[in-house]
Amino acid sequence: MSEPGSIIEIRDGAVSLGGRPVLRGIDLVIGPGEVVVVLGANGSGKSTLVRTMMGLVPARRGEVTLFGEPVSRFRDWKRVGFVPQRTSAAGGLPASVWEIVASGRLSRRSPLRPMRTPDRAAIGTAIEAVGLADKAKHGVSTLSDGQQQRVLIARALAGEPDLFVLDEPTAGVDLQSQQAFADAVGLLARRGATIVLVAHELGPMAELIGRTVVMRDGRVAYDGTPVATAHEVEHHHGHHHRDLNKHGSDYLPTVSAPIGGPANPERRS
Amino acid sequence: MSILQYDFMVRALLGAVFTGLAAPAVGTYLVQRRLALMGDGIGHIAVTGVALGLLTGASPTITAVAVAVAGAVLLEVIREKGRTSGDVALALLFYGGIAGGVLITGLAGQGALTLNSYLFGSITTISSGDVWATVGLAVVVIVLAVGLSPQLFAVAQDHEFAKVAGLNVRFYNLLVSVMAAVTVTVAMRTVGLLLVSALMVVPVATSQQLTRGFRTTLLLSMVLGTVASLGGVTISAYLPVAPGATIVLLALAGFLAAWPVGMLMRRRVRLSAPFSPSDLHRDHTVAREDHEHEHGDDCGHPAVQHGDHVDYVHDGHRHVPHGSHYDEH
Repeated sequence: MSEPGSIIEIRDGAVSLGGRPVLRGIDLVIGPGEVVVVLGANGSGKSTLVRTMMGLVPARRGEVTLFGEPVSRFRDWKRVGFVPQRTSAAGGLPASVWEIVASGRLSRRSPLRPMRTPDRAAIGTAIEAVGLADKAKHGVSTLSDGQQQRVLIARALAGEPDLFVLDEPTAGVDLQSQQAFADAVGLLARRGATIVLVAHELGPMAELIGRTVVMRDGRVAYDGTPVATAHEVEHHHGHHHRDLNKHGSDYLPTVSAPIGGPANPERRS
Repeated sequence: MSILQYDFMVRALLGAVFTGLAAPAVGTYLVQRRLALMGDGIGHIAVTGVALGLLTGASPTITAVAVAVAGAVLLEVIREKGRTSGDVALALLFYGGIAGGVLITGLAGQGALTLNSYLFGSITTISSGDVWATVGLAVVVIVLAVGLSPQLFAVAQDHEFAKVAGLNVRFYNLLVSVMAAVTVTVAMRTVGLLLVSALMVVPVATSQQLTRGFRTTLLLSMVLGTVASLGGVTISAYLPVAPGATIVLLALAGFLAAWPVGMLMRRRVRLSAPFSPSDLHRDHTVAREDHEHEHGDDCGHPAVQHGDHVDYVHDGHRHVPHGSHYDEH
């Protein structure tokens, strides 16, 4: 059973990709209006966590609910805005900024019906919110990486969602775009939207964050008041997982081949 | 003196117009999904369908549609399940389709000549029943490809986002595959199974050179496809050339004409694209001392935005005025 009023809820969630366990023992409840950042090293499972929330990756065990409904049966997708992790907004053919942002409106439109005035207004507002109004008719492939990322954010904004989920929206994005992005997220937060954000570094967004979740090796290592970096958590909570300090922030599990001898030579006494 | 006084020419031109519209419309989504050769794969599979028709005495067009749709669905399933072996699966179906077709045609007691009219098209021998079937199927494909273009575009552009937008990604992917299969068999009589993929892909590649939006790419490629297929049929009415091959060569000629224009347009866009402002605080390097040229609005060197100022692109260097000299940026 899901907690009343929760926006996203994962109970005892576990996820495997291609048989390899990626997430284990995830318990997470995100309530309305929360602004949550998910931090963690590469390979810690933070991207998989948000993809599980969106139903893009099935949970092997446990329960995932969106707005109180199991994600596999969830249909009210117009309430959700998603910004997937990627390096480029350009596809195999030319597409204009306006066209890509317009696909964010599809959750509110029926097939084979013409676009209405509110749709056009929402698309225009979304493009303006990320500061690309003068480039609406430009092809996306001519924009910088940061601008392309802003296009993807505008696409999610165009659906006017209550829940906004962003997977590393600021990775490799220039400072100007980061600011434009922080402004857009701030606007949503003030309107009372729930925001879940995967990030490596917060930059201009730091002041918006209300809660931080740190992922480590497929588990939630920290869940509480904001911290600036995953590294900070390691120092405050060192007693929980001493191995993390030893390996630094890019923690890689040591795996040994079955006949190659032990990976950790210290054990060979 | 008009070619329109011959019934078979009217039928051929009708078939050409609708194939010319439908093939690039579907091809646009195949190119966008980077599956440009899928039409070719389906064309090979359809050979088996034609042969089955010859063997059983059923209409080769109908058996070809059935086998091509089945093959296209199979391709889509294989593509969805095992990403890495997608092109190998395509190859297997390619060769299985054409070998099966040749084998079954032999069993049916027909020679390669019969198969030829399907492999390379024989637009001038289309019966009026065939024409109406072509027109009907092509209209359905065109209406779906244009009418559902926002959905199909979103799914091909970013399937994960499309899924979270509530679109049934699998349904739309299958729809494109089935439309491709129908188009291949519709175009079988016009350009032939071996060349149909060209009519699906080449007009799209041409229009992509000149456009910067998706919808204009789609519509322009449909116009180009129609021009090429009408032109090909008309030329073959006056000259002793095969219509199918003429259509494809006309489409390719269009690409050759558009390509340099596209190159120039892209070069201009690239030159004026702003430099990333992230490396503003680099070392201060002074340009060569004998830099006598004075950069300005009309100096002939492209002025490109770089953070809060403008760089001038000068022989592969980026120059910025700094007091009495120019800096390298």
